[in-house]
Amino acid sequence: MQPIKWLVEFVEVRLGVKELYNRELKGYLLPRNVNAWYTLGAVLLALFTLQTLTGILLLMFYVPDAAKAFASVQYIVNEVPFGWLFRMLHAIGANVIVIALLLHMLSVLFMASYKGRREFTWLSGFIIFNLTMGICLTGYLLPWSQLSFWATTVATDAAGAIPIVGDYLVEFLRGGPTVGNQTLGRFFALHVVGMPLVLLALIGAHLFCVKRRGISPPPFGPEYHATEAKPFFEHEKHPGGVPFFPNYFVKDAAIICFFIAFLLAIIFYAPGLFFPDSAFQPADPFLTPPHIKPEWYFLWAYQALKIFPSEIIGLGVQGAFMTFLALLPFIDRGPERRPAKRPLFVTCYVLGILLIVAISIWGHYS
Amino acid sequence: MSRLVCSLFVVILAAWWSMPASLLAADTVCIQCHGGLEGRLGEPVAQWQTSVHAENGISCHDCHGGDPADSAMAMSPERGFIGVPDYVDVPDFCGRCHVGVAEEYKAGAHGQAIENGGAQCVVCHGNHAIEKATLELINEEDCSQCHTYERAALIRMSLVETDKVITTVEHDLERLYRLGFAVDDMQGELFNQRNRFHRIFHGVDVERVRRETADVEGELGKIVKQVVSMDSTLSQRKLWGSVVIGLFVLAGVVFLLLRKAYEEEEKS
Repeated sequence: MQPIKWLVEFVEVRLGVKELYNRELKGYLLPRNVNAWYTLGAVLLALFTLQTLTGILLLMFYVPDAAKAFASVQYIVNEVPFGWLFRMLHAIGANVIVIALLLHMLSVLFMASYKGRREFTWLSGFIIFNLTMGICLTGYLLPWSQLSFWATTVATDAAGAIPIVGDYLVEFLRGGPTVGNQTLGRFFALHVVGMPLVLLALIGAHLFCVKRRGISPPPFGPEYHATEAKPFFEHEKHPGGVPFFPNYFVKDAAIICFFIAFLLAIIFYAPGLFFPDSAFQPADPFLTPPHIKPEWYFLWAYQALKIFPSEIIGLGVQGAFMTFLALLPFIDRGPERRPAKRPLFVTCYVLGILLIVAISIWGHYS
Repeated sequence: MSRLVCSLFVVILAAWWSMPASLLAADTVCIQCHGGLEGRLGEPVAQWQTSVHAENGISCHDCHGGDPADSAMAMSPERGFIGVPDYVDVPDFCGRCHVGVAEEYKAGAHGQAIENGGAQCVVCHGNHAIEKATLELINEEDCSQCHTYERAALIRMSLVETDKVITTVEHDLERLYRLGFAVDDMQGELFNQRNRFHRIFHGVDVERVRRETADVEGELGKIVKQVVSMDSTLSQRKLWGSVVIGLFVLAGVVFLLLRKAYEEEEKS
């Protein structure tokens, strides 16, 4: 017997891998009209894996100390072999993850895939989105540049608007009255251990919900029928559907390749896209740079705080909006999922996107 | 009454709106007070706001002394107020910061002739509206007001190329810095060489200018060499990056074709 065949047989006898493969991959059937938007989950898994790998490589050289952090990043970029590549993959990859997450959420909203007793799937996804924002925020401080320092100062300051507990909350977030070494320490711990562990658990829970309840088919074409959710648990099956592996997996792989090509294109052709000048200057608590702005995905929140006459109203409106989004599956309970049959929802959806884009552009130029 | 209040409000708003941003931002008592004055006492503020000094945060009190935070004592000699220096004292006045240039100037023809009206700093550079020094300052119109232009023209000719190199390297280092390259040492060396270069021609000795400019060019050449090496690294990265991007796009297309094949299979 050939060594590879022998090895396969050895594992098969002990773990029954073939049966597992036939049931969970080849036998896992997706709706026949499944479209490219359904690949975004796999794209996100690939990008999160890339973040983890590049993060581990950066960890080998990064020093979480206010006096050494900036120099250690300089060392990684200039001295460590391919350090510049790992740093760029990690920093720009974070932005690409946010893009993929937004597209994933917007497609789920447009197709109303949260309907049909999928509240847990939506909620776990929504928390993953917010947690990713948290990981981005904590990671932003680590290079200890002027941008890191002042963007974190502005972001943590916003919590001060909350009545009674605001000042305590700001001090708790920073670990002191101002952003300093203690802030760097706690953000570092949260960024590399605390939040990724919770994220891992949440991704597991999200995938479990998707698998357990069954894929929600696209609400398009003649195959679609609006059905009332049943009052008991039911796994939505797709008999005669597309096998996940290898039939649909190749589409996942294709879109993953295109996303990585997009990420690399930014790294090699527009490396400064997400890095303003202040990202290259070491943090100086005594020198406030002009026009300090948060990352593009926080611009809407940043500008919203400035639009309202007081920060507490701004925070309240943002909180109400996010709570509404989180609870959407509990509010929007009708069985209809076709966008053409939901004009009110689609109008709010389009206007909502335009509003957030407009506020973000306003925030960028304000 | 309400119309009067309204008009007053509009006037205040218009005045506030028309104020230059730097004036609103100014926080020294010198600018607060002189900014509101007219004529000889107010002009320096507007002139200073366009200067390279203002750009770099050098304010009135940095040159003239005094207390910029206390209007009562702002112009008190007890707080180091100097005021306007005499004509012959200007080189020492500016030379407190521009030490090397002042040294070179004093040893040169201009410095030696100062008692007889020889040009000093503000004659060429101006006083409050000081611009970033460029070779344009050496020009026939200005120089020939005191003497013939030939010698100045020779000095300028020997400086032109070096000046171009300095400007180009400055831009290159800024570009590389924005890409994350550690260019601090090179920027430090460029700063030294630029200072040395600026100091040389204040002695107005043509032979010495030629000799030392050649030295400066030699030092600049070392920086240029490093810039070329970094640019070559960047080009290589871009080349390999393009290959990898191409491979990923190709792989994506192959996977899509595979999916097409599976779709045919699923239909049949």
